[in-house]
Amino acid sequence: MSQKAESEKLLVVKDIKKQFGLNVVLKGIDLSVASGEVLALVGGNGAGKSTLMKIIMGIYQPDYGEVYIGGDRITSFKPIVSLEKGIYMVPQEPMLFPNMTVEENILIGFKESHASLDERLRKIMADIGWNLDLTRKALSLTIAEQQIVELLRGLMRNARLLILDEPTSSLTFDEVLSLFKVIKGLKEKGIGIIYITHRLSEVFVIGTHVAIMRDGHITLQGPIADFNRDMLVKGLLPDNMQDIEKEDVAYEKVDYEGKKPVLTLDHFSGYGFKDVSFDVYPGEILGLAGLVGAGRTELATTIFGREKPLGGKVFLNGQDVTGLSTRKIIDAGINYVPEDRHLNGLFGMDSVAANTTSSFLHNRAMGNAFLDRKKEYEITEKYIKDFRTKVTGQDQEAGSLSGGNQQKIVISRCLATNPKVVILDEPTRGIDAAARGDVYSIILELKKQGVAIILISSDMEEIVELSDRAVVMYQGYKKDEFKKEEITQPALMNASFNITEKEA
Amino acid sequence: MNGLKKFLKAREAGSIIFLILLFFIVGCMNPAFLKPASLLACLNDSVVFTLLAAGIAFVILTGEIDVSIGATLGMSAAIAATILRDGGNWGIALVAALITGALIGLVNGWGVSVMNIPSLIFTLGVNGVVRGMIYVFTKGAWVENLPGEFTKLANVMLVGQLTVFYVIAIVIVLICNYITKKTKRGRYFTAVGDNISGAALVGIPTTKTKILAYVLCGVFASLAGMAYTSRIGFVTPIAGNGYEMKAIAACVLGGVALTGGQGSLFGAAIGAIIMSSISRILIFMGFSSDYDNTITGVMLIVIVVVTTVMQNREIVRNHHDMLLARTNKEEVKKEVAEA
Repeated sequence: MSQKAESEKLLVVKDIKKQFGLNVVLKGIDLSVASGEVLALVGGNGAGKSTLMKIIMGIYQPDYGEVYIGGDRITSFKPIVSLEKGIYMVPQEPMLFPNMTVEENILIGFKESHASLDERLRKIMADIGWNLDLTRKALSLTIAEQQIVELLRGLMRNARLLILDEPTSSLTFDEVLSLFKVIKGLKEKGIGIIYITHRLSEVFVIGTHVAIMRDGHITLQGPIADFNRDMLVKGLLPDNMQDIEKEDVAYEKVDYEGKKPVLTLDHFSGYGFKDVSFDVYPGEILGLAGLVGAGRTELATTIFGREKPLGGKVFLNGQDVTGLSTRKIIDAGINYVPEDRHLNGLFGMDSVAANTTSSFLHNRAMGNAFLDRKKEYEITEKYIKDFRTKVTGQDQEAGSLSGGNQQKIVISRCLATNPKVVILDEPTRGIDAAARGDVYSIILELKKQGVAIILISSDMEEIVELSDRAVVMYQGYKKDEFKKEEITQPALMNASFNITEKEA
Repeated sequence: MNGLKKFLKAREAGSIIFLILLFFIVGCMNPAFLKPASLLACLNDSVVFTLLAAGIAFVILTGEIDVSIGATLGMSAAIAATILRDGGNWGIALVAALITGALIGLVNGWGVSVMNIPSLIFTLGVNGVVRGMIYVFTKGAWVENLPGEFTKLANVMLVGQLTVFYVIAIVIVLICNYITKKTKRGRYFTAVGDNISGAALVGIPTTKTKILAYVLCGVFASLAGMAYTSRIGFVTPIAGNGYEMKAIAACVLGGVALTGGQGSLFGAAIGAIIMSSISRILIFMGFSSDYDNTITGVMLIVIVVVTTVMQNREIVRNHHDMLLARTNKEEVKKEVAEA
């Protein structure tokens, strides 16, 4: 009986385990998807979602457990096998061939004749009502268009199970709506979908089933009707999370009386944001919320002198710092801790000490032509101690540290320049709960010292907990500004999605 | 008109225009350069580099590099020449050379594609090993006294005043060019170089494609070795030394992007004509041909720097356009204003 039910499932995953080196990523995953189901898979960074998907796609081999596709047990894990069995994954960042045309991108890898492929492609596009110029080069497409190309690729392969990895993370609101429409159409055609997302609000809009992953386990799964939002949130949180939070976040009200803003943006515009004005006061945490692609990182990097501003002014303590070079901005007292530590922040092969002091090497205090080793040691030791960074020694390679400790190094590096304003871009993304607590206490300690902090975060809870005030951006514009007592998750969420009070 | 537009958009157009301009300028300074016999010599002399460049183009299209082709040429030439000198049949010599090239290519492909070793390092190592084996094989001596029928082949004209070798080389290049551009499997080479993880996701066998590219590169280098042996008439242990730079420069000149995924074998063949003409051009312009290698190196660097700068600009511009499009959307402006 159960055997039969299982053979009707498009995908059954049983007790999958996988580890890389000492890092156990999947600790026994059971999952299934049937025809016409949309399984919303939710989990934080590092929960193991992408590893699981790579196993289903045949890119990784599981250490233990079984995978059945359309009732057949998979014995050889290769992308070609999964593709042939009708599984197609649309990666978060579409993997197109930038130098090929849209048509070439869709039709590559097929064995049938060009004419019949062409006919099928046109039929599929007409079916779903998409219009895309097939002769454009892929590098000229927006992310949304690239995702459509990826979906078409999957449909051309007669995929019966589509995996969508955070498809809305870089889409505009309109694009999200039209994508949802497409997903509903596919669902009605009996195609199964695994929909990976970070956004709980989407789960109830698009999912028929839900599964929550945390730390290599599935903490809950079942039909969407069995759950409400709070239950999902509970599934996402570590069991002891509640206690940690209460301990960590001791909020101190900021006294704005008679204070002058340290940083002022006056109708500031640049690539990806426009006409943004707000003030930041010393000793406050200004939360900067919004969806991915709302222009927050672009705003921060432009203030920091990495990109050319297109209009408006930035004042630091009344002094115009618009469009200065990064070196001058740092000297003036603004520092920025980037979102992607590996890409922008950390010299992975270098020692902890070299990483800590790298941002003020040009400072005379560090020695003239030659580096003052003693000074370097002193400064590094101070920050390691202050931040409880777990290192074997100052000479440890920064790349071998855990994510949380890497983040501490990057933050400590920027603090070593004694900044007046620190912009933290997604400081806790991808780091574990304990390190997160440490990062929070660093941020609060800074606040106590009177540093102004701009906290860019997509984690609404984080903004609610830490911010004294919050600014929400939408599509490059400042959408709303909230005082401490007004900052709630629904308020931030609505503003991020540009929903006005009336509609909501 | 449409054809002209299409031509100008192609990556090879720049190389062809450069070739014509270069020849025109040299011709202005010394009209003798533009005499038919001289121009034909430019083509006929380019046969070795045409084959080398077309072969390495397979590898560069997949986003890798092969610096062992000079040694591969030398090894194949030494083996083929020894067989011929000892009275062997030219067919056997050809097959032996091709097998040599294919084997070296297989080793390169294994190291780069299966073992995942950076291609510059691995093929550099193979280059050293193979070059050393030439000395062992020839005991450091020249392979000379090759039969006249074979060395005369280099001067046999097939089409008009084009040598049989050049005609064969061009036919092979054009066929392979067609295969890589128009057939489904041929497109795999550029696809792998354009986006390797994307290629794996649509089921393209990326490992096999790279190995095949290296094997083809080795085979082309051994063909070049045959042409070299016939033209020169003897093989020294340093035969083909440093040819890899010229072949790579020829590819780059012909519009093959070193980042992979862009360009064609045809373009590489055009680049090879330019590269192999440099020493002749130097002589016609009254300079010593000693500058040959330096000029080749300078051209390689200049072109790579210019294309890289242009590419990066393009990337930044596209990124900026995308960001501007976001804030300039009318419906967003309206929405924000209303709310």
